[in-house]
Amino acid sequence: MSGVAVPERPASYWLRRFVVVTFVVLSVTAIVRGYFGPPPVFAWRMFPEASVWQAEIYRVDDAGDRIDVRDSWPGGYTWPTLVQGKGLGNPFDESGAVYGVDSTLHLLQGSLDWVAANTPDDHETVRLEAVVTYRHNGRQPVVVVLHSEERS
Amino acid sequence: MSWLRRINDAIDEIVDYRALVPLRIAAGPLVLLHLRPLLELAADGVTYRDRFWMPFVSWFPAVSGDVYVVLLWAAAFFAVLMSIGLFTRVATATTAAIVGYNLFVSQVHYHHNRTFLFVLLIGLAVVPVGRVFSLDALLARRRGKPLPPPTARRWPLMLLRFQVAAVYFASGFSKLVDPDWFGGTVTRIRVEWYSADAVAAGVPERWVDLFGSSGFHAGFAKVVVLTELFIAIGLLTPRLRATAIWVAIPFHVAIQISASVQVFTFAALTALVIWVAPTLERRRLVIGQRRRWFAVAVRWLDWTGRFAVETAGGGDVEMHDPVRGRLVGGSAVARTLSLLPLSFWLAAPVDAATRRAVGPTSASDSAR
Repeated sequence: MSGVAVPERPASYWLRRFVVVTFVVLSVTAIVRGYFGPPPVFAWRMFPEASVWQAEIYRVDDAGDRIDVRDSWPGGYTWPTLVQGKGLGNPFDESGAVYGVDSTLHLLQGSLDWVAANTPDDHETVRLEAVVTYRHNGRQPVVVVLHSEERS
Repeated sequence: MSWLRRINDAIDEIVDYRALVPLRIAAGPLVLLHLRPLLELAADGVTYRDRFWMPFVSWFPAVSGDVYVVLLWAAAFFAVLMSIGLFTRVATATTAAIVGYNLFVSQVHYHHNRTFLFVLLIGLAVVPVGRVFSLDALLARRRGKPLPPPTARRWPLMLLRFQVAAVYFASGFSKLVDPDWFGGTVTRIRVEWYSADAVAAGVPERWVDLFGSSGFHAGFAKVVVLTELFIAIGLLTPRLRATAIWVAIPFHVAIQISASVQVFTFAALTALVIWVAPTLERRRLVIGQRRRWFAVAVRWLDWTGRFAVETAGGGDVEMHDPVRGRLVGGSAVARTLSLLPLSFWLAAPVDAATRRAVGPTSASDSAR
């Protein structure tokens, strides 16, 4: 055993190192996390795709009929006044998928749920449905159907 | 491991944060630009709660529309205070907090370009950038109690540098490992989107065909990806740092021309000041009376505080550089211009050529 004394470090010394290491670990974790789907927080994947998408959005009533949301909507709602941002305001025309197809589908699903829950003057619709057509980086079109939560 | 020991020692090192002052001043207008569309909507009575919004996590506090509008205006107000340097630390921290809140209150608000601004604001909030070129400093001088120099420990600068380099690296690496990106498919399709507009704007069709061809993009995409990775690695490598900054400038200008990235270009360009060596020692620049205009110009354009300018008899320019020793005449002028933000891009190659003619210097030269 050596008799050399180790200088005592103040708590701030260790706190600084803790902050530095924690920050670096969190930053790297966020970047890696970005490879496993949305949301892409602190993942820094700029212009990740050149995918395009388009959607037809319907209200589904009690009878199971599908009514395009661009047609009459009880309560006077319109899609663009309810949903804006990241290309979601006009899903009817083909446009680029901001942050990629997965991110767009993730947000579109969220928007369907939000609209279903925030249109109190619509007493007809039981759920919303989006028929999405996307082309991932120029490949063949793929069609997926998204549904909102059932309205109570 | 010597690199780990160097990092450990650097955490506690006292450095000068004067070079980040231009970033603080520019950050205010960038925040205002960022907030402008939200403030315009708020003026029309529309807040995030009136349209689709989606929290990242359910427990994140979602304020009412009225409170949200107050927060937006508070951010704008404190952004102005941050720029002029009044109650700088509080103003910067508050601006950062509200900009961050706005980003994370809804996934619809989240964009990498705004997040980059948020990162810079956080960095500014934890370092003493209000002690020079600020109303705080002016008022303190008038009270006869000047503020201490803008020095502090290095660790916040290390983290800010790491995060900024990580942005370039993560962006480049994600493209490198994506065959669609590295093979040129993504850039080719993105160019195709704008081909019709380009032809309509008068660009010759054969150019559009050339710049839209698979062969061109097979090479172009690799240039883009490798440029991003080079900037990331170069910024973290003292010997390559000046070159990486030199490459980053046209890279960001090209992004601004080709894509809508809100405040990102200006934020990224201004953020390049974080790579200025934060040395406590300033370069002594002695400028002859016959070139007083040059002394005035350097004093006005030395935004990162690298020079202690003196005037003396005669007409020559002489620099005492901590790394390269005494420089006189053209090499001193080239070196000076390469260290001023506005003339860096044009003067750095001249300075590098001058340096090559004189001979090799130490590895840390470009870091300074």
